[in-house]
Amino acid sequence: MGYFSDGMHKALGLLLNMDDATFSAIQATLSSTSCALVIAMILGLPLGFLLGYASFPGKKALRLISDTLLAFPTVLIGLIVYVFITYRGPLGQFGLLFTLPGMVIGQSILALPIIVSWTAQAVESLDKRCRETLLTLGASPLQVALYTIREIRYDLGMVCVTAFGRVVTEVGVAMMLGGNIRYSTRTMTTAISLETSKGEFAQGIALGLVLLLIAFLVNFLLAWFRRMGRA
Amino acid sequence: MKTLFEAHVLCRRYGDLTALYLPFFSMEKGETVVLTGRNGSGKSTLLRLLAFLEKPTSGTLFYGGNAADPRREITLLLQEPYLMKASVYWNVTLGLRLRGADEKSMREGYRDAMLAVGFTDPDNMASRGPGALSGGERQRIALASRLILSPAVLLLDEPTSNVDEASEKAILNVVRSLHEREVSVICATHDRDIPAALGAREVGIVGKRP
Repeated sequence: MGYFSDGMHKALGLLLNMDDATFSAIQATLSSTSCALVIAMILGLPLGFLLGYASFPGKKALRLISDTLLAFPTVLIGLIVYVFITYRGPLGQFGLLFTLPGMVIGQSILALPIIVSWTAQAVESLDKRCRETLLTLGASPLQVALYTIREIRYDLGMVCVTAFGRVVTEVGVAMMLGGNIRYSTRTMTTAISLETSKGEFAQGIALGLVLLLIAFLVNFLLAWFRRMGRA
Repeated sequence: MKTLFEAHVLCRRYGDLTALYLPFFSMEKGETVVLTGRNGSGKSTLLRLLAFLEKPTSGTLFYGGNAADPRREITLLLQEPYLMKASVYWNVTLGLRLRGADEKSMREGYRDAMLAVGFTDPDNMASRGPGALSGGERQRIALASRLILSPAVLLLDEPTSNVDEASEKAILNVVRSLHEREVSVICATHDRDIPAALGAREVGIVGKRP
């Protein structure tokens, strides 16, 4: 186990000395994940709300599709997006392959079903007396919708944090669409994978510690949203 | 006196289940009516129809109010009131907020409504969340959120069930004071003493299935 303690020692050194390669991977991870999350939220929150709130033909089928996509393997998302953005693909002219924007597309697709399905679930789980209360207080249909969103705000926070946690820890999309290019598209997960395969544990452990810290923060936020939602 | 509600052969079905069948019902403006009847007779369903939360499956329902949208002058207190995930102050003033009221009138309305339902120190309650309230407090706060709107018609669904004696007394006092101010009140209850306690007309809902 000497190599592990040695790796741990070096890992702390990399973090404390703000090693360029390590911090470049952290930055690439956080920037691509944040962009992907924002895009997925912009598209997914309204879609999820409509799916949970409104009644329309085909709603159940849409819900089933969205729920099925929750289990979509990340490498399959990577493959599909790859086909579209590769140089011979329909979006090849934009040069997105092996770039951060290319990764963001894949990660947005990964986060979207989580946000859509769980937002719909949050709306559907809301006590039906909430809507009735708003109506008996004279709310218009638009006000009922807006105050319903306000009422599930902590659930929506949990949805977004969960989606962030899912995207920040994924490796398939980042590897296939980003190409694991050092100082460019190398993320924490792809760097850990590469460094471990090379037998270089120090950077892998350093990035693993950062991922653990992020996981802790994600869970802390989830617990906070859960507590506030119950209060 | 003017007629406030008049219903003929009112029926509400949910699928095969007939929740309410009422051959005739009428009440005048300013009157206090107590609906009595066994479980499942349709008291709550009638209140929901009178609150325009639902439409009758068949029959006619006349409302003689003034507002273009009856829901602006009729309000219903549900049997188990729902409080939003916000402070007591926010919950009590929600109806005014929906009407675009300013902060000053909300603050004044909050104080008056909370005092009316028996809270002697409304400021102390203002920041508390719904999770920190007893059943009786929740019921009275929900009632305050209706009183603040100065409704023309107040519908109460079992307002004194599941509350302590002090809360029951406070709620009945509110209904009495509304009656004195000629606010129309309809109260559904199992409690056979309430019609006499309120000096109200009792209407028995038989719930006869057609």
